[in-house]
Amino acid sequence: MIQTLTGIDSTASALAAERIRMDVISQNIANANLTHGIDGKPYQRQQVIFEKVLQQAQGLDGGAAAQQVQVARIEQDHRPARLIYNPGHPDADADGMVAVPNINIHEEMADLIVASRAYEANLAVVKNARTMALQTLSIGKR
Amino acid sequence: MDPISGLRLANIIPNGLQPLDVQAPKPGSIPTQELSNLASVKTPETQNVGRSFSDFFTEMTQEVNAKQSAASDAVQGVLSGQNVPLHRAMLAVEEASVSFQLMVEVRNKLLESYQELMRMQI
Repeated sequence: MIQTLTGIDSTASALAAERIRMDVISQNIANANLTHGIDGKPYQRQQVIFEKVLQQAQGLDGGAAAQQVQVARIEQDHRPARLIYNPGHPDADADGMVAVPNINIHEEMADLIVASRAYEANLAVVKNARTMALQTLSIGKR
Repeated sequence: MDPISGLRLANIIPNGLQPLDVQAPKPGSIPTQELSNLASVKTPETQNVGRSFSDFFTEMTQEVNAKQSAASDAVQGVLSGQNVPLHRAMLAVEEASVSFQLMVEVRNKLLESYQELMRMQI
């Protein structure tokens, strides 16, 4: 098996994981004002938990192991919902307080930037691996 | 030289010679029949040692072809919405492209050495 871009499997797994993280953050932002979910409660913030996967690399010398990353699970943030006074709201309780999701939009934006930069970093790894391979191939040129 | 061929040599060489000479015969003194025996022993060995370069290159071409078709499948999967991640497709395309370039480089080297041989003065 020709392995021209070794170590790219780890990067691919990281790209997939960061992609899922960005999806979850966008879900959080989209549901930031959801006061009445399927279970009747306000939306709870979700966050991804990463875990590593040990996979035997095939092309590397001495069978070195390449560590990959994947999303282990998507967990709920257990911070309580914020209470906002809005007596006219259909979801308001007896005191006129409405439970709004525990989402801080600034926090989500910061997380989005982190996820997007992590994705970019992995793309840079791909680009560099490709450049290195092509430059190595240019050894044979005259 | 293996012991069996030594025995055969002992049968061929005239009785007057010492066994010592049988162990280390001069190159010129080996009968042609013995040489052809040696050749017939050697030939299958060299064939077994390594595959020919053309086999290797054919295999490489097939692998590059497999990579190309895998990349094409991945792109098709993305375009037809089969839940293939975009980066998978791009990485497959990239890997196929680099493997192809590697194959082209090997072919260039091969052709270069062939032309070098053809230019040789005889």
